[in-house]
Parts: sequence; structure tokens; C-alpha cells
Amino acid sequence: MMKISQEFAPPFKLIAPFFILGSIFFVLATLFLYTFDLATISYTNPQLIAFSHLFLLGFVMMIIFGAMAQLVPVVLEVGHFGVELFYAIWPLLLVGLLMMVYGFLDSAALLPYGGMVVLISMMIFVAEIFLTIFKVEKLTLVMSSVLISNTFLFFGIIFGLLMALSFAGTLSLNIEALLSAHVYAVLGGYIAITIMGLSIVLIPMFTLAHSFSMRPLEIAMWMMSIAVVLVIVGSLAEIEWFNYIGYFLAPIAMGIYFSLIYTLYKTRPRKENDVYALSVIFSYLSMLGSIALFAIYFLTEKENFLLAAGWLFFFGFFAFLITGHLYKIIPFLVWFERFSPLVGKQKVPMLADMVPPRASEAQLLFSSVGVLIVTAAIIAGSNEFLYAGASFLLMGSLAFVRNVFYMINFK
Amino acid sequence: MGKFTKDEIFKAISTVIDPEVGFNLVEMGLIYDASSDDEGNVKVTMTLSTKACPLHQMILQWVKEAVEKLPGVKEVDVEVVWEPAWNISMADDNVKKALGA
Repeated sequence: MMKISQEFAPPFKLIAPFFILGSIFFVLATLFLYTFDLATISYTNPQLIAFSHLFLLGFVMMIIFGAMAQLVPVVLEVGHFGVELFYAIWPLLLVGLLMMVYGFLDSAALLPYGGMVVLISMMIFVAEIFLTIFKVEKLTLVMSSVLISNTFLFFGIIFGLLMALSFAGTLSLNIEALLSAHVYAVLGGYIAITIMGLSIVLIPMFTLAHSFSMRPLEIAMWMMSIAVVLVIVGSLAEIEWFNYIGYFLAPIAMGIYFSLIYTLYKTRPRKENDVYALSVIFSYLSMLGSIALFAIYFLTEKENFLLAAGWLFFFGFFAFLITGHLYKIIPFLVWFERFSPLVGKQKVPMLADMVPPRASEAQLLFSSVGVLIVTAAIIAGSNEFLYAGASFLLMGSLAFVRNVFYMINFK
Repeated sequence: MGKFTKDEIFKAISTVIDPEVGFNLVEMGLIYDASSDDEGNVKVTMTLSTKACPLHQMILQWVKEAVEKLPGVKEVDVEVVWEPAWNISMADDNVKKALGA
């Protein structure tokens, strides 16, 4: 008989700030879209970098960190080393992020300070995860994904801080090389590998899929790791062909990972298309769309395709995978804390009862239409479409915040 | 023949609902076996739909409490096994139909 740790659900008050702040930053990132002028936008533009950090740190990382407080024991099958450390992570991440965004927009001198605060926050997170992993006796593939992704996060934030110091003029390093290393370590190394590992636990859990091979995950994870290492080394050591191999391998790794997701989709016993399932489906279709746009960029070298690919990867793939899973994770945590002690004593709600059906469908509809319109706007270079898409997204993100509070306050 | 039949124990456990899918553990096919001795000691052998179930310990507790409601029960031992691994074919037809499997 296999023993599994009981410490699977940390107190909700510890996790709630991550989800509340994350959803608010989702709205702020959407509002930020109104400040862009597509005629002048470029991937090195500080305004775009500020937006990327607002979205990635404020929404994506904030929610991943909060979710990891609950999911790490589920995945690693041991209790946290020190789950209380999460109380320090979100305030530091919040302060550091605000300083960084302001730094990018108006005061480069503030960047290293903001970067340092973010670095401390993330180092606490990485240290806590590593110390928890050390308690594991035998690493499974999914556990290895947590170890690998957090190692990349460690290096990714170091590169980020070095870049911030260079941006502020304290150091004089090759910012472009550091940017490549930072982006690949964090996006490919941390976020993508984290998603690969966690999704293979969560999606079968919610869809009841079973009897599938983990081989595609193994291949995808290692291929992505090699791609990230190649881009980091290629950028820092200025070996250009390393970068190109990395650029080539990363989307192939995502494609192989997608093949496993598709297998889960085709063989899932639970076929209902609730807001969770639809969000996840939109997310993966966005990922495929993003890879196609990256390919077009490499063929045409037109930057708007690169920006559209990045947009679809962020707001389509990351955002919908996260919002979809929050419709499962938040009800579970609230239910666990509020209703599980009442089981057998009185009628308790099912987890699905805690998700507002119409408002969640509205969020999904507005957000998905918004993402598609903004993608088209970036490709066409149309500000009018951009702001129209932003309006849809704003409605969607506001609905999302409302839904988060609805689920948290469900009684 | 023990104090309780397998059906009696299964019926007691059928009051335990999985809050995620909304079906009871028996109709989900998660309860593999149940038996009791003459003194009322009950042994339940079950599985879960995933090893990473965050409700693992809680579900075991619910099963134990459900069986303890049978009159005359002494000890309840709930064992979780992973072989054979659960799959949807083990669920009742009404579950399969409702899930769309």
C-alpha cells in the first residue's frame, strides 16, 4: 500500500492573496493594452517589457506560486518543508513587481531594486521547493519536472537581475544576450516545464483519463530543457547556431507535449465541456496558433508575427490554462476548508456547484473573443482592433475577478 | 460468512460521494472488495481514480465513518491498492453514461 501525505491543503488564507492579486493583475494587464500604439511597438520597447512583467509576474507567476503551495505536496507526495514561507512570497513579489514596472516605464534606476525584491521573493520560493523535493525518496517524472523547472527559474531570475543592473547602468553587460537567456530560462525552462509536469497530473485528475504513456512527456521535457540550455549558452557565449537549434527544438518539444494532451483529450472518459474543459481546449489551440505564428515569423522575419505569437502564447495559452484550472483549484480549497468537516453531518455542495455557471461562461466568451481580436490586430497593425479586443478582454478579466471572489466567498 | 455481507458494507459506503464528479464511490467502481469477520471487524479494499488525489486521506476517513455506522461494527480497516489500476470500465453504466464515456 502506498502512503500519501495528508498535508495536501494548506490554509486557504495563505493561498488566497496569490489568487486575488493574480486576478487583479490580470485586469491591470488588460488595461495596459489601451496604452499601446502598434505603429511603434517592438519587443525591446520598455513599455512592452513593463506589460510583459505585469502579466507574467503579476498574473502568471503569482497564481502559479499560489497554486504550487497546494499542488507541490500533491505532486511530490510529501508535505511542504515550510509552507509558512509562502506568507512572505506574495508581498515581496507584489512590491518588487510594482517597482520593476515603474522602473521600466519611468525610472530605470529603480529596476535593480525592484529586481532584487522579486529575486528575494523567488529565491524563497525556489528554496522552499528544493527543500521539499529533498524530502522525496524517489523522484518520478513529474517530480523531476518540478526540480528541473525550478532550477531554470533560479538561473532565469539571476539573468533577469543582471539585466536590470545593466539596464540601470550599474553593470555593462550584453543586455540582448541576457534577455534571450532570461526569457528562455523563465518561459521555456520554468513556466513551460511546470505546465508540462502539472498538467499531466491535473488534466487526468479532472477528466478521469487513464492508461496513457508518459513517454511523450519525458521526451518533451528533456527536449525543452536542452533547447533552453542551448539558447542560454548560445546567447551568453555568442554561439549563434546553438540559439537556432534551441529555437527549433522548443516548439517541437511543445508539439510532442501537445500530442500527449491530445491523447488525453481523445481518451478522456469525462466528456462534459464545462468552463474548465473549454478553457483548457482554448488554451492548447492558442499554443498551436502561437507555434504557427512563430514559424511564420521565422519565414518572413516580420516582427508583428513574433509579437502576435508571443501574445497568443501569453494571453491564449498561459492565461486560459490558468483561469481554467482556477475554476477547479479554488472551489477545491474553499470546499476543503469550509465544507469537508461537514461531510456526513449535513448536505454539502459539489465542487461544480461553487462555480458560477453564467458568469464563468461569460468570462470565457469575452476573453477568448478578445484574445483572437487582439491577435488579429497585432498582425494587421490596427490600433482600433487592438482597443476593441482589449475591451472584450477587460469584460472577461473583470468577470474573472468577480468569479474568483464568488468562489472564495461561497457559503 | 462474517457478521456483514459484502452488499451491506457496499451499501454503507455508497453514501460517500466524490465531490468532484458527484457520484458515490461504489458506483464509480472504486471499492474493490469488502468483508467482515464474525466479531464485526470490517476490511475494505479500494482504490482512487488518481494517485495524486488531494482528498486521499479524507476519502479514506469518510469510508471508515460510513462503515462504522453499521450496527455492531468493531474495527474498520481501509486499504488502498493501486493494482489493478482504476479505469472507467469499472464504473456503473449510469456513471459512464452521465460522464459521456
